[in-house]
Amino acid sequence: MFEVILLAIVTFIFAIDQFSLTEIIYRPMCACPIIGAILGDLNTGLVLGGTYELMMIGSMPVGGAQPANVVVGEVVAMIFAVKTGMDIDSALGAAVIFSVFGTYVVTIMFTIASSFNSWCDETCSKGDDSGVRKSVIADVLLLGSLFAVIAVVAYVAGSSIQAAMQSLSENAAWFMAGLGEAGKMMRFVGFGVLLKIMLANDMWGYFLMGFAIALIVGNTPNLSGAALIIVAFIGIGIALSNYFTAVAIKQVSANAATEDFSDGI
Amino acid sequence: MASNNTQLNLQDMQFYNDRTPAPKVDKKVLNKMIWRSCNLQICFNYERMQAIGWLWCMLPGLKAVHKNKDDLAMSMAHNLDFLNTHPFIVTFVMGLVLSMEQNKMEIPTIRAVRISTAAPLGGIGDALFWFTLIPIVAGMTCGMAISGNIMGPIMYFVIAFGVEMVLRYVLMYWSYNLGLEAVNMMTANAKEFTRAASILGVFIVGALTANYGGGTTTGIVFENGESPIVLQKYLDTILPCLLPLLFTLLMYVLLKKGWTPIKCIFLLLVIGIVAGVFGLLGSGYDPLVPVPWLTSVPEAATAMLF
Repeated sequence: MFEVILLAIVTFIFAIDQFSLTEIIYRPMCACPIIGAILGDLNTGLVLGGTYELMMIGSMPVGGAQPANVVVGEVVAMIFAVKTGMDIDSALGAAVIFSVFGTYVVTIMFTIASSFNSWCDETCSKGDDSGVRKSVIADVLLLGSLFAVIAVVAYVAGSSIQAAMQSLSENAAWFMAGLGEAGKMMRFVGFGVLLKIMLANDMWGYFLMGFAIALIVGNTPNLSGAALIIVAFIGIGIALSNYFTAVAIKQVSANAATEDFSDGI
Repeated sequence: MASNNTQLNLQDMQFYNDRTPAPKVDKKVLNKMIWRSCNLQICFNYERMQAIGWLWCMLPGLKAVHKNKDDLAMSMAHNLDFLNTHPFIVTFVMGLVLSMEQNKMEIPTIRAVRISTAAPLGGIGDALFWFTLIPIVAGMTCGMAISGNIMGPIMYFVIAFGVEMVLRYVLMYWSYNLGLEAVNMMTANAKEFTRAASILGVFIVGALTANYGGGTTTGIVFENGESPIVLQKYLDTILPCLLPLLFTLLMYVLLKKGWTPIKCIFLLLVIGIVAGVFGLLGSGYDPLVPVPWLTSVPEAATAMLF
């Protein structure tokens, strides 16, 4: 019982850590030994953690399918490896179906958290930061608890629940795919808001130019990784040249005005 | 969600009421912001990504420089814009934005500079950290862990977290002072600078539409014997990233018409679920209802395509 509670607590922390906090502790290299210590088998934790970490950075050939969500992958694989004595490859393989639910939780959380934005908008416009604070707390509690639930399910039900989870995930596939697609599109609202603020009517050309250059650079194999920084350099060049031209025109017209004045005298 | 009188209109915000530069923020506040910057992604969401986390990290600084209550409200509201950058180097953007806030620069300038700095830095951070430092550290320490040495994970954590925190610390102070020095250049010709910053901002949003939006594709494939018809390929011959561009423009038009962001989100949520029912967007799943097309190219035919 004590073991399960501790496991739920560390899973909660890892779930938060995968996006915030240190962003290091959730990595298998650090997390697996911690889980191992809780389950009473530190050595398995070290071995599984080191192996999984090498898989993640791509310097170890991956045997089977790799878990989609790292936190669920490492927690469930550790449970299976310690409790049922599976070897590392089969433990990670058995964790795959659980980690699918981990990614579902992430998708759902990122969607729910999108609604926090307008809540924050409203409270912030009144000069009140309580909306932000409450959003942060709500997000942490929800994300952490949902991950902890997956860990407890894996601990209690073990591999017997795999078939049920498999069919559940197959039935939910269309819905989660749709939700994922909606999620991917939501950033366009963010872009729309930015455009609404910055885009004067004579600036459409710059928008299209940025779009086009990003396409060109992004589809050039050797450059695609650095696409945004390259595009930014080009943009800085355009913006600076516009700035200095505008300043020069201002100075010229200021000079012209004073000359007109002196001519008049 | 209708805007009422007490709510500030985002479009009207151009200047702060109190335009006298605030005194330099003391180290305690900056250090607090550095620690808070660890939580940049705490409310990560699809619509504005790190926006709420960003505001959370900036709050101590904003409260220190804006003593006027309305100014603080305005500042908080515009610091909720879409933002995505790398969490370990975000303090560079934070320092820069704080120095601009402190000098009460024009709000559109701050917004434009923020997105144009943050977005390109995102890519650098990944290359620097996840693709360079972590593989090196893991290469050194994983062997130790696999042979059962507890020092492996400890060294891994100390090095990785140490580098991360040093980066956060150094970048914060560097960019904050850099921003304060650059203020003269930015304010001498404020009108021209705001316009140039907006040009860069619009340019970057255009680039983001292609760079971040590219995931929105249709997976519709019509079976056609040995050469299946892949709809996305035809769309790409018209213009790659056509769907992201159209959706961005649609959102812009709707927002201009007075739609609230939350209404736009619901619209996209409905579009997404409907797309899931009929298999219109995305690939590799079975739509809920039987449809006369596939959502991905059948494996047997993949070889024929390339």
